[in-house]
Amino acid sequence: MTLVKEAPARPAKKRSAAPAAGRRGRRRENLAGYLFMSPWIAGFLLLTAGPMIASLYYAFTSYNLFTPPKWVGLDNFTTMFQDPRWQKSVEVTLKYVVVATPLKLLLALGVALLLAQKRRGQGLYRAAFYMPSLIGASVSVGFVWRALFSDDAIVDRSQKIFGLDVGGWIGNPDYVLYSLVALSIWQFGAPMVIFLAGLKQVPRELYEAAEVDGAGPLRRFWNITLPMISPVLFFNVLLESIHAFQVFGSAYVVSDTRCGPADATLVYTCYLYQKGFKEAQMGFASAMAWTLVIAVALVTAVLFWSQKKWVHYEEAAK
Amino acid sequence: MGTSRNVERRTILKVAGASAATLGLAATTGCGGDSGSGDGTVTLRYAWWGGEPRTIAIKKTIALFEKKYPKIKIKPEFTDYEAFWEKFQTQASGGNPPDVFQNAVGFLRKYDKRGVLLDLKTQADAGNLSLDNFRNGVLANGQVDGKQIGIPVGANTMALVIDVKAFKKAGVEAKFGWTWDEYFDALQTIQDKLKIAGDTGYCSIMYLYDLYLRQNGKAFFTDSDLGFTEDDLTQWWEDGYKRVRSGLIADPKKVEQVKPKSALSAGLAASEFTWDNFSIRYEGEGESDYGLAPIPTTDGKQTGQYLGSLMLSAFSGTKHPKEVAQFIDFMVHDPEVGKIMGYDRGILATTEQYDAFKPTDANNKGVAAYEDEVAKAGVLGKITPHPSGADVIEAAFLRLGGEVTQGKTKPADAAKALFSEAKAAFAG
Repeated sequence: MTLVKEAPARPAKKRSAAPAAGRRGRRRENLAGYLFMSPWIAGFLLLTAGPMIASLYYAFTSYNLFTPPKWVGLDNFTTMFQDPRWQKSVEVTLKYVVVATPLKLLLALGVALLLAQKRRGQGLYRAAFYMPSLIGASVSVGFVWRALFSDDAIVDRSQKIFGLDVGGWIGNPDYVLYSLVALSIWQFGAPMVIFLAGLKQVPRELYEAAEVDGAGPLRRFWNITLPMISPVLFFNVLLESIHAFQVFGSAYVVSDTRCGPADATLVYTCYLYQKGFKEAQMGFASAMAWTLVIAVALVTAVLFWSQKKWVHYEEAAK
Repeated sequence: MGTSRNVERRTILKVAGASAATLGLAATTGCGGDSGSGDGTVTLRYAWWGGEPRTIAIKKTIALFEKKYPKIKIKPEFTDYEAFWEKFQTQASGGNPPDVFQNAVGFLRKYDKRGVLLDLKTQADAGNLSLDNFRNGVLANGQVDGKQIGIPVGANTMALVIDVKAFKKAGVEAKFGWTWDEYFDALQTIQDKLKIAGDTGYCSIMYLYDLYLRQNGKAFFTDSDLGFTEDDLTQWWEDGYKRVRSGLIADPKKVEQVKPKSALSAGLAASEFTWDNFSIRYEGEGESDYGLAPIPTTDGKQTGQYLGSLMLSAFSGTKHPKEVAQFIDFMVHDPEVGKIMGYDRGILATTEQYDAFKPTDANNKGVAAYEDEVAKAGVLGKITPHPSGADVIEAAFLRLGGEVTQGKTKPADAAKALFSEAKAAFAG
């Protein structure tokens, strides 16, 4: 990528002045460079760029994988917006994003604050809290989750102690999404590590000065910590919400591949998958994919716009 | 990438193009060309879905085949039902499906329409495959528009599986020709006396609704459409939901959570409608005794049952149609294969295999006796067509039925949704 960035910076004059032999040698060197890069370039073109362009085209076609795609203009999009299941998938996804992301970040920040203090066995704690992030996306954890939240399993039994008998979350359309939320929150380790790094950057003297002025812990947190780590917070919010929009594996596994019951875990990508690979409506699925890309881009844009109001950059303040 | 040199765009394109081309070539060579080798040995890919017992049995039959035909090697591919069809669809669209594969009635027209299935009649005419000795006319299950695109390996029918102990304890009896009213009365007695539900959720099963419709002179599918009205289905689901709320039908929330175990073997209910060759699973899963019982009727006579089939189909583009035909012939006619497979895929379809396999365990005996009984009762009808898209509609029926019984969607809305989804499925 550096190549592309730095190329225009080179003065054009120098290039034309170079002796022909040198130029040829350089070109050969470059060729070698690109040859070494070619596996990556080929992978990018064939596996990422190519399919993306193809799916953009398919989004405007009716395509069942067997007969050649037929151009239908905006039909896929109009059908999609009127499709009750599509609307349901948007609803489920938004609910998931709006509930899971803040809770996960709150927990990550809370634990990061605790772990930021010097204490014995710190490394061990950090590793322990980070662990779920490493394994949380795996299929086997999905199965474990299904077992934990089923009827008469551990979560259900613990609830019964408090008189909250719902008969398990997995089979209940009103609760099952929250088991996915719980799974997401449990993986708070990755944002936690980023928060920890951010907390380390806050200059100690600010706290000392505040303490001298008589500021309590809450005030110190609100007026020093939070503004100082707001760039990190912004980064985490951005990353985690984009991530949450694309949730798939947990919903697919926990719901026994059907994204149910009663479409209660029909997250956006799950519906996209069903449309594309079960019903072979690749045109519709492509239209869905591009709609998601645009939606996520919009959310990102809004977040970037909003950072002016709440994200505090030290350099800018000076 | 520390070197910041200029490279002409053309060079990049050339390199990229070259590598793309080589990769493309590599991909093509990777797909084809490996099925034949110098000494005349031919390799066929054979794919099926099913549980572990089926896989073990099929592998034994493959070994038997390879012994008899040393010049043909079989490469097995297997997975579960849903994954199988997802994978198959992708492979078939890329022109690379297995040479031989397990198939079912619901997929025949879909893949015939897409030109994937080989007409095995031509191979039969060439003498590579025998179409004789099929029992009870099941060979017709594999025919579409005069073509033989599937060869049945077994015959099965929808049945009612009951918890025998529970039925006995409640003092109710399932008998031939009983009506739906009598059936639901029996469930009520079970619920009153044993405090468990009577059924696990009949109203989401497309193939049962098909039987009900057939009892009433209709059918789920016509050649190209649905064979009932939105009102019919609304009524069916309204009745079903009523019975869920009264506890006659097991709570769908609980049914969902015992999966992959069946709600019947989990003891949530006393009966379940399913294909008779599936009934073998219950003994392994549950603690009670399970038996096959007659399907309730509308008029005291017609059950609407017919013999369905799992079959073997071949890819129209296979490089070795002759060997494929020989393989299928062996798998459906060889007596040893019949002994190994048993009734795992339904009652064996040909007389050679049916006569060779004498069931010794209670389950297989039960399945055989059941189909005998049904056949004797003379209620077996002809299978109705499954238009292209039937598989998608079956999934939608199951899902929408689930929404109704969960109380999340009104029966009328669910019926409407099924019709609109069916329209899209038929068009696809």
